Amino acid sequence: MAIATDLWIWVGALLTLFIFSFLFGDNPLYKIGEHVYVGVSVGYFISITWHNFLYPDLIVPLFRQGNLLYIIPTILGVLYFSIFFPKLSWLIRIPMGFVLGYGAGVSIPAVLQANIIKQIQGSLLSTQVLSRWDSILWYVVSLVGIVCTIIYFFFSRERKGISKPAAEAGIVFLMVGFGASFGYTVMARVSLLIGRLQFLLRDWLGIIK
Amino acid sequence: MKIADLLGKIDRRIIFIVLTVVIVIPLISPIGFVGRLSPRVHDLFKAIDELKPSNKPLLISVDFDPQSMPELYPMLVSILRHSFARNVRVIVMGLWVTGVGLGEEALTTVGQEYQKEYGKDYVFLGWKPGVSAVVLGMGRSIKETFSTDYYGKPIDSFPMMAGVNNYRDIPLLVTLSAGDPGFNTVWLPYAQARFGVRVGTGVTAVSAADAYPYLQTGQLVGLIDGMKGASEYELLVEKAGYSEAFKPASQAMDSQSLAHLAIMILIVLGNVGYFLARRKK
Repeated sequence: MAIATDLWIWVGALLTLFIFSFLFGDNPLYKIGEHVYVGVSVGYFISITWHNFLYPDLIVPLFRQGNLLYIIPTILGVLYFSIFFPKLSWLIRIPMGFVLGYGAGVSIPAVLQANIIKQIQGSLLSTQVLSRWDSILWYVVSLVGIVCTIIYFFFSRERKGISKPAAEAGIVFLMVGFGASFGYTVMARVSLLIGRLQFLLRDWLGIIK
Repeated sequence: MKIADLLGKIDRRIIFIVLTVVIVIPLISPIGFVGRLSPRVHDLFKAIDELKPSNKPLLISVDFDPQSMPELYPMLVSILRHSFARNVRVIVMGLWVTGVGLGEEALTTVGQEYQKEYGKDYVFLGWKPGVSAVVLGMGRSIKETFSTDYYGKPIDSFPMMAGVNNYRDIPLLVTLSAGDPGFNTVWLPYAQARFGVRVGTGVTAVSAADAYPYLQTGQLVGLIDGMKGASEYELLVEKAGYSEAFKPASQAMDSQSLAHLAIMILIVLGNVGYFLARRKK
C-alpha cells in the first residue's frame, strides 16, 4: 500500500468523495465539489476557445494578416450580444437566421441519407443475407419488428383486424428495445462507479495494482 | 415488519453499500471471470490491423469528457497502442472541448511508451467549435479547417501531414463518442454518408443500443461498447503481442459482473416484495 504523494491526486480523490457524499443527502461538501466542477469546466472552455480558435482563426487572420473578409463572421458573432440591449435585441435575429438556415440546409439531406435511406436499405433483403440460414432468420425477425413497431406508431386509423395484433407485437419489440437500453444503462453507470473506485483504490490509496 | 414490506422498502443506502462491496472486493482480490469476445469489437480491431504502416493516418476523434473516462479512455489508449505498435500514423482531434486534455494525455503517454515522434508519427489537432462545419470542412480540406495544431504550429510543418488533404486520405476514422456531438449525430451523417469515410466507433454503454442499427447496415465497420468492449479490445491488443501494459477495463470486469449479479438479485427481490404486498391487499 502506497498512498499518493501527488497533490493533484489528493485534490481529485477529495472532490470524488465530496460528490459521493450526495448519496447520503445534500451537504456543503457536495456543493463545493459541484461548484468547482462547473467553474473549472467554464474556465477550461473559455481558455481552449481562445487558444485553439479565436486567436489562430480570427485574431491572426484579421489583425495580423489583414484579411478583411473575417469582419463579416466577426460582426455576425458580435450581434449575438445584442440580446443584452433591449433596444437592439432584434439584431440577434440576423445571426440566428444565418445559423438556422445553414443548419437546416446542411443537416436535412445528411440526416436523411444516414438515418433514413441507409436504414431502409439495411432493412431490405440482399443476396448476402440469403447466403446463411441464421442471417435469414434474423432478418425476418428484424423485418417483422420494424413493420410491427411502425404499425404501433400509426395513429390515423382505428386498430382493428390485422393491425391490432401487429401493433401489440410492436409493443413487445419496443419493450425488448427498452430492456436492452436499460441493461446497457445499468452497465454504464456501474462502469463509472468502478472507474472512480479504481482511481481511489489504485491512484490514491495504492491498495490495488 | 413482514418480509413483503422489508423487500419493498430496502433503504437505498444499503443498496449503495452492497454495490460498493461487490465492486471493491474483486478489485482487491480478482476472481477471473472469462468473458466472450464479441465480433463487433473484433471487426474494429481487424479494420485497424489492416491499415498500412507508415502510410495514410488513422483519424481518432475524442468525443467524450472526463465523465465518461472509465469507459472510453481505456479504448483510446488501447487503439493508440495498437496503432503505434504497428507503426500506423495517427491524427487525434475532438468535438468535445472538455475531451481535449484527455486526448493530449493519452497521446503523450502512449507516444512516449512506443518512442513515437510528434509530427512524424502523430499529430494532435485539438478542438474547434462548429461541430458539423468542422466535420464538413475536413471533407474539403483538413489543413484549412485546422490551420494549426493544438500547440499553435502550422499543420503544413509536420512531415506526416504531407499528402493528407481531406477524408480521401483517411483510410479509417474512429470516434470515441459519449453522446452528442458523436458518431450518429455528426460523423455518420456528415463524414460517412457524405464523403464515404469508413467509420468505427467506441461508445458508452448507454448509447450502445443506438449504435447497433448502424452496425447492421454496414455504416459502422466495428463497435466497442462500454467498458466490456474496452476490456475485449485490451485483450485483443495483448493477445496480438502489441502491448503488455496494465489493462484498467479488464481489471474491472470481475467487479462489473458481480455488480450486475447484485442488481439482478435486487430487481428480483423488489419484484417479489411488490407481488407479495399486492397479494396481501
